[in-house]
Amino acid sequence: MAASESLWSTLTAPLIRQNPVTLQILGICSALAVTTSLDTALTMSISLTVVVVLAAGIISLIRRHIPNSIRLIVQIIIIASMVIVIDQGLKAWFFELSQRLSVFVSLIATNCIVLGRTESFARTNPPLPSMVDALGSGLGYGLVLTLIGACRELFGTGKLLGMQVLPLAEQGGWFTPLSLMLLAPSAFFLLGALVWTMRSIWPEQADDPDFPPHDIREDRR
Amino acid sequence: MSDLGGLFLRAMFVENMPLTYFLGLCTFLALSRRPDTAFGLGVAVILVMGVTVPLNQLIYSAVLAPGAWRWAGMPDVDLSYLSLLTFIGVVAGSVQLLEMVLDRYLPKVQAAFGAFLPLLTIHCAILGGSLFMVERRYDFTEAAVYGLGSGAGFALAVVMLGAVRARLAYADLPAGLRGLGIAFLITGMMSLGFSSFAQMAAQ
Amino acid sequence: MADLNPIALWRRFLRTPNDSRAKTLAVAFLVSAICALLVTAATVVLRPIQAENRAAEQRARLESLIAAVPGISSLIEEAGGDSLSTVVIDLDRGAAAADVTPETLEAALSDQANWTALSPTEDVAGIGNRPNYAQIYLLRSGEKVSLAILPVVGNGYNGRIQALLALGGDMRTLAGIAVTEQAETPGLGARIEEQLWQQSFAGKQLFDDTGAARFAVARGPARSDYEVDGITGATRTSNAITSMVRFWVGPKGYGPLMTAIRRGDF
Repeated sequence: MAASESLWSTLTAPLIRQNPVTLQILGICSALAVTTSLDTALTMSISLTVVVVLAAGIISLIRRHIPNSIRLIVQIIIIASMVIVIDQGLKAWFFELSQRLSVFVSLIATNCIVLGRTESFARTNPPLPSMVDALGSGLGYGLVLTLIGACRELFGTGKLLGMQVLPLAEQGGWFTPLSLMLLAPSAFFLLGALVWTMRSIWPEQADDPDFPPHDIREDRR
Repeated sequence: MSDLGGLFLRAMFVENMPLTYFLGLCTFLALSRRPDTAFGLGVAVILVMGVTVPLNQLIYSAVLAPGAWRWAGMPDVDLSYLSLLTFIGVVAGSVQLLEMVLDRYLPKVQAAFGAFLPLLTIHCAILGGSLFMVERRYDFTEAAVYGLGSGAGFALAVVMLGAVRARLAYADLPAGLRGLGIAFLITGMMSLGFSSFAQMAAQ
Repeated sequence: MADLNPIALWRRFLRTPNDSRAKTLAVAFLVSAICALLVTAATVVLRPIQAENRAAEQRARLESLIAAVPGISSLIEEAGGDSLSTVVIDLDRGAAAADVTPETLEAALSDQANWTALSPTEDVAGIGNRPNYAQIYLLRSGEKVSLAILPVVGNGYNGRIQALLALGGDMRTLAGIAVTEQAETPGLGARIEEQLWQQSFAGKQLFDDTGAARFAVARGPARSDYEVDGITGATRTSNAITSMVRFWVGPKGYGPLMTAIRRGDF
């Protein structure tokens, strides 16, 4: 059916073709800071997805009654309130994880993805498509975070989700951890490599060159 | 605490917002294609952070902190959970003010990145500065110095990146690396370089 | 008629043009009020659970510290089960705080007046200022204190280091250390969280015969009773630990308290 088909494409487009992090340059901040281990990356992805879906739903419900002059601040207030509720929930039920995430859960309130989706989609569409679109963006973001988090934790400590996967040399195995993976610059390098790979496999995502080399004899004609 | 100069330098180099804490990267990467837009963004961030961090410190210590209402006989009131909403409100107000001032006195700058100013309202680095200020319990002068230092650090990093990317406009990069890809790799190298400043803080 | 009025009013409100001043103010007010209510409700409902989490975490840390300190289990057995007590002390006086309890400690410490600024010569650990009150744990056998567990904080290579320091009853010997928070380089400085290294603290002497602080984390293997093995490639972190321990057993840290315990005043 046409409606569910377009819902499906709304959901899956942000995964690869319109990935918020690698194509639209949104939501990068927290994408890097929390990826030193896979569990924090997953928690962050889930938190952001929950916030963006709820916020998109609520804003879509009241979309017809938001005055234009205060529309941004109304959206921000709703998003920030969702974030505070999620943050309090994490502190209550997943205390250890929330300690490790520290201020980055609060910073979901400033995550460009959330405001980007509500401003561009939820404000002008009914609740169900808005929430599906939000879910897609959240999943796209989660995909990137999971990949980078898995890489950094696996190569930085040999563990995945806290379980030793690659046997450490000090414990009789063969793997010497790459400590660089646990430091800030590695996240940039990994993300750069990911973007490069994606844009090589799907060339339509690549930017056009600013000053393409061209034959100057063409100008003279 | 007694070393404001050291705090400024630490905020600017050692705890650099985009390069060490990954904050403010959206605007950092999106607006660093040319040195002049990068510079404009940098100056705006310094202004907004220099105003909002001390302002938020005042509001936090007077209204939101646990025990702030002691003078009214309510020492158990703890409104710190509202700090996120309050800080965002203060930043939003400051950005509005900045927009109006720019529109009136520097319309060319307004034309250059006016569209991105509203994004400074929910800028991770600007909000992050206020959140770190709470976590580290700075007083008013420390908050002001920290705000200016962080803003200056952001400005420095974004201008550096802008300068490099301006040169890269003429480079023949592989298609997949153009734009975002190479920006990430350069930022990674800058981050690696800035991490050597950490030696400066540990005396 | 009266029944329809609120609904009719609401419908009329919804129909007003979005940009009218009245509607703008009303929407702004409604959104703020509802969000504030939601956030407050969530916080108030969840606060007790969070407080319990924090308390549980402290208890768990304490238990792991106690388990790691050698000989502690026999000490506890002698003292008869669980005679670990906690008290908030006033650091300057070296005595129990008059009006601060473990429950009110956090509120007391959020007041800047309850922190003492440290001059650069005093600030050996690089922490800038130190709280005037701290919650410590004491194990008694009979009247005497046989073990004191003191929270300490220092400034490491990459951020704050928080730890619990366990001192033997003579207040001159270390019984153990548990690092509860650090941000040091993984694989290098972060090794201060390793059990094996922490256990090497047991039995080390803090002061020499003249009363000068001699404890140190050595560069390389420990060469005396005052030293603990250093961590290769983590000189700055090791120095941070040394400074931290020396500060907190000194006059501006728990010095007054330790003197009081040694004298038997406690």
